[in-house]
Amino acid sequence: MLNDIFNILLPHICLGGFIILQLILSMVLSPRFCRYARLISVIGIALSIILLSTVQTEPQYFAFKNSLMSDSYTLLFDFEILLCGFFAALLTKNLIKTIKRNAYTFHAIFLTAIFGAMNIISANDFLTLFVSIELLSFSTYFLIASSKGYYSKEASFKYLLTSAISTGVFLFGVSYLYGITGSLNLSEIYELTANRDVSLMYSISAVMIVLGIISKLAVFPFANWIIDVYKGTETSVLAFLSTVPKLAIFGILCRLLVFPLGNSFELTFAVAILSLITALWANTYAIRENNVKVIFACSASANASYVLLTASLVSVYNLSTVIFYLLCYVIMNISVFAFLNIYGDKNPMNINDFKGMFHKNHGLTIAYAVSVIALAGIPITSGFIAKIYLFTAIANSGLIFVPFLLALLLLMVVALFYYLKIILPVFCECDKNTDITILKPVFSQKFVLIVTTAVTLLIGIFPERIIELCRFIAYNI
Amino acid sequence: MDIFLSIPFLIFMPLVVSALLISPLFTRNEIVVRRFSKSVCLFHFLYSVLMLACFDKANPYMSEIHFFGLDWIQSLGIKFIFKIDAVSMILTVLTSFVFLLASLASKLNIRKSHKFYYSMLFLLMSAILGIFTSADMFVFFLFWELELIPAYFLIGGRWKEEVSAYDNNKNAGNSAIKFVLFTFFGSMIMLLGILLLYYYNFTSNGILSAGFSDITDSSIPGCIQIFIAVCLLTGFGVKLPIIPLHTWLPDAHTNAPTPVSMILAGILLKTGAYGIYRFNYQTLPDSFITIAPILAVFALVNIIYTAFIAYAQTDIKRIVAYSSISNMGLILLGLCALNQIGLSASIFHIVAHALVTCGLFMIAGIVYLRCKTRDINTLSGIASVMPRFFGFAVLIVLASIGIPAFAPFISEILTIIGAMNSDFSDILKVAALFSLPLLILSSCYMLKFLHKGFFGETPKEYEKVNDLSVHEFLVLASVLAGLVIFGLFPNAILNILS
Repeated sequence: MLNDIFNILLPHICLGGFIILQLILSMVLSPRFCRYARLISVIGIALSIILLSTVQTEPQYFAFKNSLMSDSYTLLFDFEILLCGFFAALLTKNLIKTIKRNAYTFHAIFLTAIFGAMNIISANDFLTLFVSIELLSFSTYFLIASSKGYYSKEASFKYLLTSAISTGVFLFGVSYLYGITGSLNLSEIYELTANRDVSLMYSISAVMIVLGIISKLAVFPFANWIIDVYKGTETSVLAFLSTVPKLAIFGILCRLLVFPLGNSFELTFAVAILSLITALWANTYAIRENNVKVIFACSASANASYVLLTASLVSVYNLSTVIFYLLCYVIMNISVFAFLNIYGDKNPMNINDFKGMFHKNHGLTIAYAVSVIALAGIPITSGFIAKIYLFTAIANSGLIFVPFLLALLLLMVVALFYYLKIILPVFCECDKNTDITILKPVFSQKFVLIVTTAVTLLIGIFPERIIELCRFIAYNI
Repeated sequence: MDIFLSIPFLIFMPLVVSALLISPLFTRNEIVVRRFSKSVCLFHFLYSVLMLACFDKANPYMSEIHFFGLDWIQSLGIKFIFKIDAVSMILTVLTSFVFLLASLASKLNIRKSHKFYYSMLFLLMSAILGIFTSADMFVFFLFWELELIPAYFLIGGRWKEEVSAYDNNKNAGNSAIKFVLFTFFGSMIMLLGILLLYYYNFTSNGILSAGFSDITDSSIPGCIQIFIAVCLLTGFGVKLPIIPLHTWLPDAHTNAPTPVSMILAGILLKTGAYGIYRFNYQTLPDSFITIAPILAVFALVNIIYTAFIAYAQTDIKRIVAYSSISNMGLILLGLCALNQIGLSASIFHIVAHALVTCGLFMIAGIVYLRCKTRDINTLSGIASVMPRFFGFAVLIVLASIGIPAFAPFISEILTIIGAMNSDFSDILKVAALFSLPLLILSSCYMLKFLHKGFFGETPKEYEKVNDLSVHEFLVLASVLAGLVIFGLFPNAILNILS
């Protein structure tokens, strides 16, 4: 029993230890030592990644009366979350300088958010899930609000309000499901509802639960928050915000769609249509925007909707494409925000501020261009493979979804337009008297940018092993 | 002999050269960069000619590339297969030749960022060769998309120090974006077609493969087959271009520097024709029979409509650009004939038109370099100051009109014969009949350009211009040689195809 708990929770326990350490240090140390906060976080996350490799994957392990579980699927998502957290933590150097006094508190909250995200993945019970989601959300409010200025507070408050509403919707759905099945445990609900005709109530509750969860992904009914939040958030926090919650939410969503909620056909259609509306909204909104952060906000929302559409057409093959797409996507995204982090935090970040930057900073801008091109889905980057793989999944789901596929493909063209809008000023020629920013990255920022770009290119050229891994995990869920 | 001739070398050599050129290790000395690029192009051309010489129709070149002993993406059945059959062989040699001409023509037109320019040139070359030789739909699509990046920079880049009102960089940037968005739109629709083809092939035959040889259209229901064919045609129709999708072309051709226009019109448009041949003609023949008559009407519109537009233009480059669209209609008509004569005529016209259009864009470039304008209303009397250039210009313009003894004559006649002989629809015959005026229309706009530009009084400021330089002479002479050789001995190409 204890063995099981340790087997599942060793990385979590390690992370928890570091959270407490940061909190103690925040009380003890004076602000002079603020620069060590980042180091401690990075060490903590790295240690968790190492401990993750000791976790056994076969068979499934359960702990705390089946409310937490672990298998190869959770392991992969935990790994991705920790990796994104690791990169995002490395990028926080500039932020720490501005919030000296609160550096340790900030990093304690940062680790708590990662802890919450990992718990979401492992959750096998709606109560655990609820608590974990709130843990992640509340940490995120503080992270967003941590940077100086009015915008970050506004962003944080907007996120709080939207999340509060969506949490209500989620709990409403859970209460219906509890009323139907009398249980909150995912495995038990699956056993009770599998191979049985679903009632209307079941469908409603499923739609409510999914709707509550996907608000974190900025999908249609709760999509508006993403623009203000991205506008006001510091870039290193954005690197975190655009990856870790997304991984966590998709991780649990795919599990919910495969197991307890998979019987509802209405759900598939509702989610597919919602994601199509989101894709339409996000892509058209981005066309007329000139703020880089807002464009990336729209891109985040749009990408989430593509994945959501695929995830809603439940099949094992689709699940593998979703896992692969997420993996590629988070790496590209971190790369993009690493570059913006090197550029420094200015508000608003206009596309013309980047004008001609290529001529003074060759390597950095090429790396940035590779990541943006990858987001647009142009070969030889991982984005191309990921898009193709995702689209094969939608095409293989049947002829009904061909119109959806066609719409997505056309939206890709729109998306290419705004990605070009971001990237072209960087390469354009400018007059001799304009002063071009010369970037001065510190080692950790350069490290993140180079590693993520290299991975993006490597997956683009040799995707086979990663796809195999994703398929293996999808078939073993 | 055969062991030295490999397709991967042919395709990936330009890619390696491109990476080498852009790396900071390579010298920035522009003369070295230029000579290096020219010699690579020459070597590549000789190599491809050698492959053509050793080409055996019965067993075409095939090669498969494995990554770490695996297929590229095994779980999706995507393999890096390359195959060179008769059509691909001809187009490969042609690509190599056009790039050689372009690298020669680059000397006077490209004045800055040489390393970047030649690097992009070789990247584009690699992508186009990949399109012509890949034997897997997804690999084809990969190269199709890859070509966007270099094409964007080549069209939109600023390759000159001074900026005149005529070619201001903003226009070039805008037309490059237009090109990229149009092509991307087309290729996304094409991707839908490819995905559906892949899906049906998997469900009915049980083979997880996107190779052209594994795909059969027999199991796909009729209406879906036509839907797929239309999706694919939209993609290729943007590149070719077929009329409603053509608006990117005149802008891109006009604003690009001369060598890039040569590549665009000479080779890049032909990838569309090749796609129609490879996908619609070969892989989905059933649906192509249904579509062909409608497509022939589009081809006819291409031929006639753009010829009239070309007549209304005053910019030399725009005239040539519209004449390219007009000629593409002819290639499309040949493919729609669905018989051996039509096919041979199309491929032959691809070669002939590539040569002609390279020559014409070169002429436009030479005129523009000397006279700083491309407007035929302001040009006059070049003939008396540049006699050698005038000789070449007359011959190439005559060739483009379709005078006997030059290659385009053969292909135009063959296309019309092919369309006349097509036995499945009368529309083809009507289209063939109506496309005959092309010969008259093209002589109208081409002779107008010759007449207004070269004859008449010579303005004073033109009196000091130089006649052809060595590079320009080489380009025009080799174009002309090609036109005459294929005009007199068309069997050199037709024998490979038959």
